[in-house]
Amino acid sequence: MQRWTIEEAAANPERSRLVSELLWQLADDDMIIGFRDQEWLGLAPHIEEDVAFGSIGQEEIGHAALYYGLLEQLGYGKADDLASLRTAAERRNSVLVEQPNGAGHYLESPHYDWAWTIVRHYLHDVWETALLGGLTDSVFEPLADAAGKILREKRYHLAHQELWMRTMAAHDPDSRGRLEDAWRRVQAWAGDLADLGPSGADFEAAGLCQSVESIVGRYHVRVSEMAGALGLPAMECETRQNGRCGEHTEALQQALDTLSEVYRLDPTANW
Amino acid sequence: MPEETLTDQEAYFLERVDRGDRIEADDWMPEDYRQQLVRLIAMHAVSEIMGALPEKEWVPRAPTLYRKLAITAKVQDEVGHGQLLIRVAEDLMRPWGKNREDVMDDLFTGRLKYHNVFHMATPTWADAGVIGWLVDGAAVITQGMSLSCSYAPYARALQRIVEEEGFHIQHGESICMALAEGTPMQRAMLQDALNRWWPALLMFFGPPEKSQLSTHQLRNIRYRIRSKTNEELRQRFFSKYVHRIWSLGLTIPDPTLQQDPFTKEWTYQQPDWDEFRRIVSNHGPRSEARLGLRSTTYQEGEWVRRTIALSPAVG
Amino acid sequence: MEERLDFAVYEVFAQADALSPHVHVFNVLASSPDMAMALAEENFFRRAEFVSLWVVRRDQIHHIGHHDREGFKKTPKAYRTTEDYKYLRDKWRYYRDHPMNPDGSEAEGVTGDAAMDD
Repeated sequence: MQRWTIEEAAANPERSRLVSELLWQLADDDMIIGFRDQEWLGLAPHIEEDVAFGSIGQEEIGHAALYYGLLEQLGYGKADDLASLRTAAERRNSVLVEQPNGAGHYLESPHYDWAWTIVRHYLHDVWETALLGGLTDSVFEPLADAAGKILREKRYHLAHQELWMRTMAAHDPDSRGRLEDAWRRVQAWAGDLADLGPSGADFEAAGLCQSVESIVGRYHVRVSEMAGALGLPAMECETRQNGRCGEHTEALQQALDTLSEVYRLDPTANW
Repeated sequence: MPEETLTDQEAYFLERVDRGDRIEADDWMPEDYRQQLVRLIAMHAVSEIMGALPEKEWVPRAPTLYRKLAITAKVQDEVGHGQLLIRVAEDLMRPWGKNREDVMDDLFTGRLKYHNVFHMATPTWADAGVIGWLVDGAAVITQGMSLSCSYAPYARALQRIVEEEGFHIQHGESICMALAEGTPMQRAMLQDALNRWWPALLMFFGPPEKSQLSTHQLRNIRYRIRSKTNEELRQRFFSKYVHRIWSLGLTIPDPTLQQDPFTKEWTYQQPDWDEFRRIVSNHGPRSEARLGLRSTTYQEGEWVRRTIALSPAVG
Repeated sequence: MEERLDFAVYEVFAQADALSPHVHVFNVLASSPDMAMALAEENFFRRAEFVSLWVVRRDQIHHIGHHDREGFKKTPKAYRTTEDYKYLRDKWRYYRDHPMNPDGSEAEGVTGDAAMDD
C-alpha cells in the first residue's frame, strides 16, 4: 500500500480534508479532557494519586499537541492557534469530555466528583484505545506512527482507571454506590463518543482507518465486559448533542474561555 | 539544652551529630530533636501542598501548548515534593500515633503554618513566571542549606527535590525572559508582578537575626538541622538574583537596595515584619480562600481515601 | 523418590552511604530473614562497604516489568526537563553585558555583534 506523507496529504485537497477531520476529533478530545484533568491538579483526594493523575492529564495534552502539530504541518495554522482560538462550533470533541468534573469552578469552591472523573476518563480511554488500534496501519503515515506511540501510553491510562473502578466497586456500599451513580450519569453524555462523525465511512474508504464497525465494536465489547465484571448494568447512551458535528454544551465554551485566556491577550506575542 | 546534664544516650546522640553521622528514622533520638524535625518538615510539606495552588491557578490558563505542559509538570512536581516530605514527617510522627491526616488537620485549623509566599495573590500569568524563577530560586537557597541536615530521610528527600527545582527555576526564567523580551503589555505585566512579589521574597527567609538567634534556631543549628541564619540566606539570594533582574531592565521596588563594594553586604529596605506575621498566621490576601479550597476538596475526597485505606486487595 | 529441599529466595538491597538510596545487589537462598541477612553480608560485602542492608522475600515483592512500562516516555517529554531551556544561559550572559533599558530596548552603545542565541 502506498502511504501518504505530510506533503502528499497536504497537496491533495480531498485527502487533506479527510485527514484533518479525523485529527480534529483526536486532538480536541485529548485537549479538552486534558484540560479537565488539569483542573484537579493539587486537589485530588490522595496526594500520591494527585501526582499519578497529573501525569495522565499531561500526556493527554501532549497527545493533543502532537495531533495539532500534524494539522499545523498540513497547513491549517499554528498549533497554538488551533488549540486556543477555534470557536466551540469548530471543535470536534465528544460532549462527554467537555462536561465539568463536578459543580463549581476550579478556582473557587470546586465540588469535584472522583467517581465521575474516573468513569468518564475510562470511557474516553477505551474509545481512544479502540480508535488508535484502528489507525496503526493508516494510509496517513505520520498518524500511523503517532498511534503506535500513543497507544502504549493509553494502556497505562486505561489500567489506571480500571483499577480505580474495580476498587470502588469492591470496597463498600458507599464507594460502589458512587461508582454506579457515575456509571448511570455518563450515559447522558457518552452517545457521541464512539462516533467517527459524518465522514467515518470516507475515512474507512480512503484507508485512513480500519473498518468503523470494527473500531466501534471493540469499544462496545470492552465496555460491556467491564460492566459484566463489575456487575454494572449495560450501558445505553443518549446523544443529545453530537460533538463530532460541532454541537456542544455551554461547558465547552467555559473551558475554551479559560484555556485561552492568556493566549488571547495577544496571540501574536511570544509567550 | 544544658549539655552538662545530658544522659549518656543524649550525649552519644550529640556526638554522632557532631561527627557528621546521619540519623535514621528508627535510631534513638531525643524527643526534642524529633519535635524540631516534625515542626520543620511538616511545615515544609504543607508549604509544598499549599504552594502548588497559586501556580495551579494558571495551569489551565497557560498560554501555549508548551507552557501548558511545562507548568503542569512543574506544579505536579510540587505536589510530589509534598508527598516526599509528608512521608518523611509521617515516619517521625509514628511513635506519637499520628499520621498525615493529623498534619492536614493541623493545617486546616491553623496550628501548622505554611510559607508566606503561598498566601499571596497571583492575578496574572507573570506571577506564574516570577514564582518559578524567584520563589523557587529562594527555596533552592534554603533547601540547599538543608541538604547537610543530620536527619538522613529529610536530606534524601531534599536531594530529589533540589534536583527538580533546577527545572522549575529554568521554567520560570524562560517565562520571565519571554515576557521581558515581549510586547510593552508583557513587560508591564512582568514589572507589576515583580513589584508585588519583592516584599514577599524578602520575607521568605524570615526576619533578620539582630544579634540574637531564637531558641528554635539555636536548637536547629545545634542539631545540625540547619546551618545558616535567615540573613545569610537572604544575602545569598540578593547576590544571585539582583543583577539578573536589573539586566532585564526591570526595576526592583527598593531604591535603597545596594551592595557594599568591599564587604559585599547588601543593604535593603526591610519589609513590614508585622505584615509578615499577619500573613503567616493565615491573614494574608489569599490565605482564607486557598485554605478553604484545599480543606473542602480534602473533606470531599475523604470517601476516596477510605476506599484505599487498608482495604482488602483487589486485583 | 527422595524429597527435594526447597528454600525461600531473599532479594538483597544495600545502601552505600546515608544520602544514597538502597540499591539491589543480588539474592540468597535462606530459611529466615535473619539467616538471609547473615548470608548476604558474607556473600556480597566481603569487600564493599554498606551502611544499611535490607533483605526482602522475593514473593513479597510486587513488580512492574519492562514489558508493562513499554509505553512510558514514548511521546516527547522534553517539557519535563531543562533540555529546551539551554538557550537561557547565553541570554543571561548577553543581558549581563548588554542590559535592557526599563522600556525593554537595548542599552545605549550596544552593537549588534553579539547575536542572540534563540
